[in-house]
Amino acid sequence: MRERKGQFNFAWMFAIIIGGTILFLAIFGAMKVGDTARFQSDTEIAKSIAIITDPLQASFAEGSFGKIPFKQETRINNKCLDVGFGQNDISVATQSDIGQEWNLAAGATSIHNKYLFSSKRNSGTDYYVFSKPFKFPYKVADLTFFISENYCFLNAPDKVIDEVEGLKIESIEIDDCTLENSIKVCFGPGGGCDITVSGSCGSNCDSVYDVGTVITSSGDMRYVGSLMYAAIFSDKSVYDCNVKRLMYRNAKIAEVLIEKSDLMDARGCNTNLKGELTVWHGQTINATSDDLAGLRATSNSMNSKNSGESCGMW
Amino acid sequence: MKKGQMKIMQMAFMIVAVFFFFVLVGLFFLRVQYNDVSTSAAQLQKDQAISSLKVIADMPELNFDSSEPLTLDGDKLRIMSGGFGDEYDSFLPVASLEVYKVYPKFDEVNQCPGLDCNYYKLYDNGQTNTKTYSTYVSICSKVNEEFTYYDKCEIGKVVVGVKM
Repeated sequence: MRERKGQFNFAWMFAIIIGGTILFLAIFGAMKVGDTARFQSDTEIAKSIAIITDPLQASFAEGSFGKIPFKQETRINNKCLDVGFGQNDISVATQSDIGQEWNLAAGATSIHNKYLFSSKRNSGTDYYVFSKPFKFPYKVADLTFFISENYCFLNAPDKVIDEVEGLKIESIEIDDCTLENSIKVCFGPGGGCDITVSGSCGSNCDSVYDVGTVITSSGDMRYVGSLMYAAIFSDKSVYDCNVKRLMYRNAKIAEVLIEKSDLMDARGCNTNLKGELTVWHGQTINATSDDLAGLRATSNSMNSKNSGESCGMW
Repeated sequence: MKKGQMKIMQMAFMIVAVFFFFVLVGLFFLRVQYNDVSTSAAQLQKDQAISSLKVIADMPELNFDSSEPLTLDGDKLRIMSGGFGDEYDSFLPVASLEVYKVYPKFDEVNQCPGLDCNYYKLYDNGQTNTKTYSTYVSICSKVNEEFTYYDKCEIGKVVVGVKM
């Protein structure tokens, strides 16, 4: 029997519609699977960042430094929350080969026991991570700095030069600015500075920059001690949030030390710091970066008192 | 049934068969990928627990002296095991945290705080099916004996649990 024209057309039409649907589903499925694989890999990177920064904690050292290289341009988002101990939510996005420049950020990893100072959004292929302890007056935590840009420090004090050169951080130069697109950080007034560090330490100082203000495009940040680096390498929102977290933790450590003073007294290791620690706890539990300079005098006084005691609290 | 209708039916069955074949391939692929995710998640948890051992031992809330790594303060352990550690629920990246004194040797486990205690349960989020990792530490306290002040240290073990 000869095939009629209509039947032939219907068979083809049927095959084209169903074939097209299958092809569409296959391409859609492949794209979804690709997206899921990318999401999984970017989430793993974020989690890995939390883990690989563990050995980079300064711990008992004066500082530590490491480099994290990525295969492709990678964006790291740092969102800080300051309720209680707070957290840094780290998420990673990679660059898309087609369409929009950056893929959507993958699942965030919440890091509660670290203080990551960086811009809210960093991008680059090589990330430099270094860490400095923060003591106020006892050790509160290790500050972790996460940078992808080059920096040039101009007129830095000897202490800062020693610290930066000692850590051999490739992306930070002192005075001789040869690195590409480096951010210029001036200590004291100067021309053409992207960031200015203004020192204001008047007494009990190694350098005038032991206390001061870091002036950046995101706002002015007040600092003491090693928080200077945190202010230089962070956005104001991340800095202020992490400082609040640090002050809360400082107060919680004070609570432990207050209890410890009772145990020490009971076995003849007397301490006169209990009263001051109680006041210190009240001052630090809700303190912000604006309170740091004012708290420094109390911190120094407690530290010298502790050094003079036979047992010592810290 | 006409030959044309027969052909359409053949084609429809073929297309459905091909469709199901791809669905099965897709399901197999997803299964393999899900296994990969579970394996990497478990590996990352394990890596985190191992790297956390030193970080936890060097926490100012437990550390004896910030210049001595892996040295815990006996007083702070006593305080943290007395309910103080509960606040650190979300702060610690592990499921449980315990400290044992291993030297001088003991015959039975006595939980702290208490007399002659040798076991500190600092934190436990109640998860079952956990795997534990441990490291040796020093447990020290400042002591005054007839106006001679010194650091009295014992050997201990920090044990962290991670959910499997």
